[in-house]
Amino acid sequence: MNSSQDAAVEIINMNKYYGAFHALKDINLTIRKGEKVVVCGPSGSGKSTMIRCINRLEEHQDGTINVMGTELNDNLDNIDEIRREAGMVFQHFNLFPHMTVLENCVLAPMLVRKQSRADTEKTAMEFLEKVKIPQQAEKYPGQLSGGQQQRVAIARALCMRPEIMLFDEPTSALDPEMISEVLDVMVSLAEDGMTMICVTHEMGFARKVADRVIFMDNGEIVEENEPNAFFDNPTNERTKTFLSQVLGH
Amino acid sequence: MSKEIRFGKKIKREFFATPMSSFVTILFASLLLYILYFVLNWGVFNATWGGDSADICRQEGAKSGACWTVVKVRWRLILFGLYPYEEQWRSALACLAILITVVLSCLPSFWSGKKLAITWGVGFATFYVLMKGGVFGLPVVVERDWGGLSLTVFIFSSVAMIGMPLSIIFALMRRSKLPLISKPMALMIDVTRSLPLLSIMFTAAVVIPFVLPEWLLGDKLYRLIFGFSVFFAAYQAEIIRGGFQAVSPGQEEAANALGLNYWQTLWRVMLPQVFKAALPPTINQFVITFKETSLVVLIGFFEILASGAAAFGTAEWKFAYKEVYVFVGLIFFVFVFSLSRYGAYLERRLNVDKA
Repeated sequence: MNSSQDAAVEIINMNKYYGAFHALKDINLTIRKGEKVVVCGPSGSGKSTMIRCINRLEEHQDGTINVMGTELNDNLDNIDEIRREAGMVFQHFNLFPHMTVLENCVLAPMLVRKQSRADTEKTAMEFLEKVKIPQQAEKYPGQLSGGQQQRVAIARALCMRPEIMLFDEPTSALDPEMISEVLDVMVSLAEDGMTMICVTHEMGFARKVADRVIFMDNGEIVEENEPNAFFDNPTNERTKTFLSQVLGH
Repeated sequence: MSKEIRFGKKIKREFFATPMSSFVTILFASLLLYILYFVLNWGVFNATWGGDSADICRQEGAKSGACWTVVKVRWRLILFGLYPYEEQWRSALACLAILITVVLSCLPSFWSGKKLAITWGVGFATFYVLMKGGVFGLPVVVERDWGGLSLTVFIFSSVAMIGMPLSIIFALMRRSKLPLISKPMALMIDVTRSLPLLSIMFTAAVVIPFVLPEWLLGDKLYRLIFGFSVFFAAYQAEIIRGGFQAVSPGQEEAANALGLNYWQTLWRVMLPQVFKAALPPTINQFVITFKETSLVVLIGFFEILASGAAAFGTAEWKFAYKEVYVFVGLIFFVFVFSLSRYGAYLERRLNVDKA
């Protein structure tokens, strides 16, 4: 099978600068449809920036990004197309505080996919079931705990029926006792075959779910491997240091 | 513990905790009572309420307090200004039409573009037809002769109706990523804010006629309202820009990531949160604007403060200026206080996310 047809995301020789600062250096990464990739690395390593380049929340200056066969360039139609196909979950949830949980979920399918309210509400309730929170549909985000809000944020992204899910440190802002409820939802999503790119420090999740773990440092991809080899036999010194810091205690 | 005892304890704790605190409490309480005694004596107990002319307040043995006779006799001049006496019912109805329009558009059930457009369209058309006349057998009354409360309310609501959308446009242009748009807009806002409102009104009313062709001019009143609206929008735009800065950047990112376009993000995600954050200073701006309508007298329009001044501007009534000012002050108070209460209601209503 042709590799580019099989690819969900293709990043080729991508560079990103903030003014003179070289934030991402020659990134090459191909993610197959259905693949689950965990991206880790110390803070400031560029992992969030990279994932945010995939749906144009950040602009790359150099190189090529293809998402589901569409090239990400200045063409607004392409950007819209890619954003329809790639759902994103943020560290700080970013639910819309002036709308109920249900309204948060139906907004984009109604406005972007032009679906009827009845259809979108039905879909939304299905996904709220999936993240185990249907009884909160009429509440406002401010009335929910952090873990509940993040599960709603996952449901909201799923309501657009995306091909790919991008997770940008989805558990970093949560109290420890709420992390597992969010990870459980992500695991079940992975079991359904969703293509997932997760920036996370949850190494247990990476071991359990990931097909591949990518380690970034200083704007570069330093090492990538399947999880067992990655955790048990890291080759690069920087990877070893990082792993000893996150797994050491 | 009974309610009375708890109340007593609270009073003691808050007002009589130390000898110094007791002293301050008693001092200011007596001062307040003293002032209240004078105000009530003047305004109520020693006041004259009846009569048809100033003589009742000035004759031998007249009461020493307020002479409310002036309001009783001259209220139509205060409320309607120079508007022809026999036609003043039109001014009253027109004022009512604008007030109903304003109250309706304050109701959340009217907050859709279509409903607001219809309400304002009908409201202002009714106002204009009633005030100006010339149709349905109503004699024409030119803008120069409009006055009193109707004029005040008309100027205020027109400035609000034109100024609010304008301020959103200004704020969006000011926030534009293109320097070619944001820089000139920033300059325009700064220049407008650095000019006194009065000079802007003069420019709009008196200077513009030398520059524009006659067919473009419209009446002085409408030029004045336009200038006032631009002035309002310059201030309000900065308030709205502050509202934008209060909304977390994550909100816009989430909307973009979901595929919403610029206008969808703006209307559905950003502006509702922007208005919530900007609400207290926005109400402030409306209150200031309502009171600033009094400045139009300097361009030759008899809004309610000026028509009030006319009411004591005769030899007969010139002693009764206090009473007229208190009356006009009360009218201002009713409007401004309603605005504040409406602001408080909106704040409660918009507070869902902290429930």
